[in-house]
Amino acid sequence: MTIEASEAASTAAVRFLGARKAYWWLLARGALLLMVTLGIYRFWLNTDVRRFLWANTEIDGECLEYNGTPIELLIGFLAAVAILIPVYAGFFIAALDLGTLGEMSGLLGIALLGLAGQYAIYRARSYRLTRTVYRGLRFHQTGSAAVYALRAILWWTVTAATIGLAYPFQLASLERYKMRHTYYGDLPGRFAGAGWRLFLRGLPLWLLLVAPLALAVSALLEMVDWAALGDALSAETEDAMARIAETNPDLPTAIVFAILMVVGSIALALLLLPAYRAIMLRWWLSGLRFGDVTLTSRLLMRRVYGAYLRFLGLALLFTVALGVGSIPVLWIAGALTAGGDSSIAAEAAAALVLLGGYVTAALGYSTLYRATVGYALWQLSTESLHLSGVTVLEQVKAQGQPSSALGEGLADTLRVSGY
Amino acid sequence: MTTTDIPAPTSGPGVFFDGRTSARHDVTVTLGANGLQIADGTGRTLADWPYDAIEELNAPAQVLRLGRRHDSVLARLEVLDEAFADAIDIRAEGIDRTGAIHRRQRSHVIGWTILATVALVAVSYWAIPAIADRVGQAVPAAVERRLGDAVNMQVRSQLDTHQAGAAFDCGTGAHEQPGRAALDKMIKRLESGAALGMPLRAGVVRRPEANAIALPGGQIYVFQGLIDKADNPDEVAGVIAHEIGHVAHRDNTKSMLQGAGLSFLFGMLLGDFVGGGAVVVAAKAVLQSTYSRESETAADRYGAGLMKKVQGDPQALGAMLAKIGGATEPGMKILLDHPDTKARVAAISRIAADGPTIPFLDPAEWAALKRICAG
Repeated sequence: MTIEASEAASTAAVRFLGARKAYWWLLARGALLLMVTLGIYRFWLNTDVRRFLWANTEIDGECLEYNGTPIELLIGFLAAVAILIPVYAGFFIAALDLGTLGEMSGLLGIALLGLAGQYAIYRARSYRLTRTVYRGLRFHQTGSAAVYALRAILWWTVTAATIGLAYPFQLASLERYKMRHTYYGDLPGRFAGAGWRLFLRGLPLWLLLVAPLALAVSALLEMVDWAALGDALSAETEDAMARIAETNPDLPTAIVFAILMVVGSIALALLLLPAYRAIMLRWWLSGLRFGDVTLTSRLLMRRVYGAYLRFLGLALLFTVALGVGSIPVLWIAGALTAGGDSSIAAEAAAALVLLGGYVTAALGYSTLYRATVGYALWQLSTESLHLSGVTVLEQVKAQGQPSSALGEGLADTLRVSGY
Repeated sequence: MTTTDIPAPTSGPGVFFDGRTSARHDVTVTLGANGLQIADGTGRTLADWPYDAIEELNAPAQVLRLGRRHDSVLARLEVLDEAFADAIDIRAEGIDRTGAIHRRQRSHVIGWTILATVALVAVSYWAIPAIADRVGQAVPAAVERRLGDAVNMQVRSQLDTHQAGAAFDCGTGAHEQPGRAALDKMIKRLESGAALGMPLRAGVVRRPEANAIALPGGQIYVFQGLIDKADNPDEVAGVIAHEIGHVAHRDNTKSMLQGAGLSFLFGMLLGDFVGGGAVVVAAKAVLQSTYSRESETAADRYGAGLMKKVQGDPQALGAMLAKIGGATEPGMKILLDHPDTKARVAAISRIAADGPTIPFLDPAEWAALKRICAG
């Protein structure tokens, strides 16, 4: 066998087999049931979504399998509640008991919840991996969720201190930790993506967003006499505004300029969001390794933009539909509370109608987003993948045990859950 | 052998993974009397699965993926041939490709979660205030006192407008001392009737609103605006008696417990979906106003009763409320934390004095109280 032939034989493609319609139906039904059950249905919906996405992802001719169940997620959630109740109760008591501990309990609480969130993210990943089966073997994850949480918090601190410049290195470092503890059977994973590559690709985006903000700050520093402003504000006199106008004639101009710059930065951020997602996904996917198996992604940025545009279009249509649909809703609410002296029951009914309208709108937009952008990102990611070195996939041995859904439950209660 | 006219396949092709390695086996599956026999190309049997141990697993629409139920080894058999998949489906009970079992489960889930939601709403409407009542009474006075000190600091920093040259508390200046004495006399009489078990601390503060508030642990603030608006000492005493009602009922502690209970029930168990945050906020607001309206009614009843007990005028509270409540308040009733003023006044008017009433202050003392914030 020649070298070329053996190389050709060891490459594989990834296909996505899903039917968009089926996914839409799943999400629409799920949104309705979420509303009726005030959110308890989420365990079933999330499981359905994963079953759909996993089963329709075909790698080298074999589809993934998701074998987690909604009941597991429900139990994980209840376990998380059981753990968090005493913690929350402790904070509540500490807050009442306003000693030194009490004063610190707010800060301490935020730090602890941040740690717990990262811990949950790692454990939830472990749950999802061990519920992912490919060719009769499950994935699994070793490593310590606590260590990961500490690293993540330290990295977030560094990233915040560098106004986001360290973010690519944070991602690379955390992803390396996750992937070197990830296994498919006994095939160890690793992450080969380099932080500086993402840094170079992301730098133009960062500059575009930060430049207007920097301009705003420098304008405020240059044009405003801060000492005089402080004096004017601290003096408790009626004519503080007059004194400010007198000592700081440029203040209004500076404020208007700063606001414009901030608005510009936000608008740019929205425009660049698809580009950012595309760059990130492509970098991340191309860094994944399992033994000799190398992943490469050719994700096209314009297709990600296409997905976002689709969402925008549908969201506009939905907004029009909402506008038309809200006329009878508002009419009913108005009729119920008409006449100034309506009863409490009528008011409650009107409030329910309005609340129902609001929830419909919010769930509608989120469903549209999941069905367009969420779906497209999965589809585009999988279809952009190219695998090489897949011959090792023939002789992987089983390893690893299923892990509990506690992490999913914690992530759910702490509101940090992902897919 | 089949007895139908169209012979269903009794064997067919499949792909098998033994769950120990990832190696792919092209196999022939034979439908036996009690189970599936899975054999490779050489005829060697790789697995023998009884029909009643087979379960259907997550797979794309065109693939029937099977495994053994409750098996830690994840052996998988995949069948692509439609007709052969149907033949397996007929024999194995655990396979349900029409989704009927799934749908039944789903409707169970929906039914029970709706019931659970109804139960939760009922609990939050009736059980939370009841529990808060019991727990609130059990909170030791020392804890409530400490809580009160903390709240006191916050309230003072929020209310104090730092009027130039004037202290927040009235009754401290030399000209204000007689007013302070008059207030103390009034408080002493009310306190003797209340038998609270903890000392009251009452004072007048420089705030323009016609209002009074009670904090946990027995601190009561009467606002200057209220003194200005009162026409006689009994009106001031009536409002203070109402606030003493809040202290006696420990309403502050209770409402804190109620808030925590609601946050837990709604924030933690429910509502983790987009738009759910609004449901939680709305439900909390409506329920807490309901609790608050109930405790205001109870404090009115207590206040009028206390006035009657110390031979003051029970109706004075009603008169004062009518004066400061004015016409119907704007906004939605379900969000008001006080009941309708008309209803309050009507309820208070039902509590009448037994005999002649004794004024709280003589005219000189009343004039002094009116000047308690004169500076």
